Amino acid sequence: MKIAISAEGADLASNVAHRFGLSPYLLVVDTETMDFKALANPQATSRSGAGVQSVIFAIGEGVEVVLTGYCGPVAHDQLVSNGIRVITNVSGMIKEVIEKYKAGDFGRGLTVEEQKEQTTRYIDRDTFVRALRSSVKQFANILPILIGVVLCIGLFNAFVSKEALASIFSGNVVLDTLWGACFGSILAGNPINSYVIGAALLNHGIALFAVTALILTWVTVGLVQLPAEIASLGLRFALLRSALCLVLAIPVAILTVMILNFITG
Amino acid sequence: MSMEKSQKPKRVASQSSRYMLIFPLLVLVIYGVLFVLTPEQALVALKSSGKVCLNILLPLALVFVVMLVLNLFVKPAQIVHLLGSGANIKGILLSVAAGIISMGPIYVWYPLLKELREKGAGNMPIAVFLYNRAVKPFLLPVMIAYFGWVYVVILTVLTVLASIVNGYLIGIFAKTKTG
Repeated sequence: MKIAISAEGADLASNVAHRFGLSPYLLVVDTETMDFKALANPQATSRSGAGVQSVIFAIGEGVEVVLTGYCGPVAHDQLVSNGIRVITNVSGMIKEVIEKYKAGDFGRGLTVEEQKEQTTRYIDRDTFVRALRSSVKQFANILPILIGVVLCIGLFNAFVSKEALASIFSGNVVLDTLWGACFGSILAGNPINSYVIGAALLNHGIALFAVTALILTWVTVGLVQLPAEIASLGLRFALLRSALCLVLAIPVAILTVMILNFITG
Repeated sequence: MSMEKSQKPKRVASQSSRYMLIFPLLVLVIYGVLFVLTPEQALVALKSSGKVCLNILLPLALVFVVMLVLNLFVKPAQIVHLLGSGANIKGILLSVAAGIISMGPIYVWYPLLKELREKGAGNMPIAVFLYNRAVKPFLLPVMIAYFGWVYVVILTVLTVLASIVNGYLIGIFAKTKTG
């Protein structure tokens, strides 16, 4: 069985660190063989969100139990909801702590199911406040660009004529859809902006095929974030994925509008 | 495996925050110039923006409510758990679910996706996850307000199906060494 322990150092002779997520190391130990893996935690000094990364590593390593001094409520809920038992108030040398755990010195405690039931039974005030804060932050992140886009739509409506747009969107279904897909690939940001832009284009007589392709590629293809995708997932994967998404957007857009026309007559 | 990969998104995020403010400020400057050059047309543009703004207010309020509900019940670690379920049918369907419920900018997810792939998650579920980010439950009120619910249902279903086709093709063509 694998257990994760918040640690002050990178070996079994180190002491248990008090706080999960903010500990300098996270040790994943196999209790059968005593083989272990030490993960350095660069977020040890972070003020917020540090626990999430440790949770993700614990899940990824297939850990069944976490031993630590203290575990914050967010990390605790996430560990428990992923079937990991959390034992707190643990201190001392890691090697001795593991022996104590194997000997059953930490008592029966709550099982994962009992801990899970405890965390999912109700939404307490703290959970609600945390969710509210996250939502306000996410909403505030959307607003500046959305305001800019809405102001741009005003300029677009006032200054761009239907004739000018007709020079790009000729009325050819495939070509217009391809143009829409290309615009969506170049532009990026929250998808809400693509809906506002799409609605403005529809008002200017642009076909729904093109608008649908724009909405699709806005999220699925992102030239702006392509360097970040290449850096993380590799050149081959990123280019292939983007190219396939661009190509797929055309039949999906055409099919969407055809089905819509069939249903609505 | 190392935790050091998590530092990059923070830098990208702060750059992105600066960019977010530059854009609306730039548009305001353009408005300022236009109010000097062609005040009538600039006023038409501003009124038009006001109309768009009024139309979007109620759907935006609903967006906030759906966002709050998702934040209450969906945790990032659950999404990672869903994504790591492999490339079988169950794994693909869970990747679809993970993509749909995931929130926040995409660059936040890249390091985690990299980690998952190094753990053997495979290209297919990752591609499926990325495609399904086009389905945004918390933005559905705005989408329905603009395009109608029939269109939204059709597009959502086709997007999910296309994500599986996309994932399957990526699984075939990116099978060999990635990068």
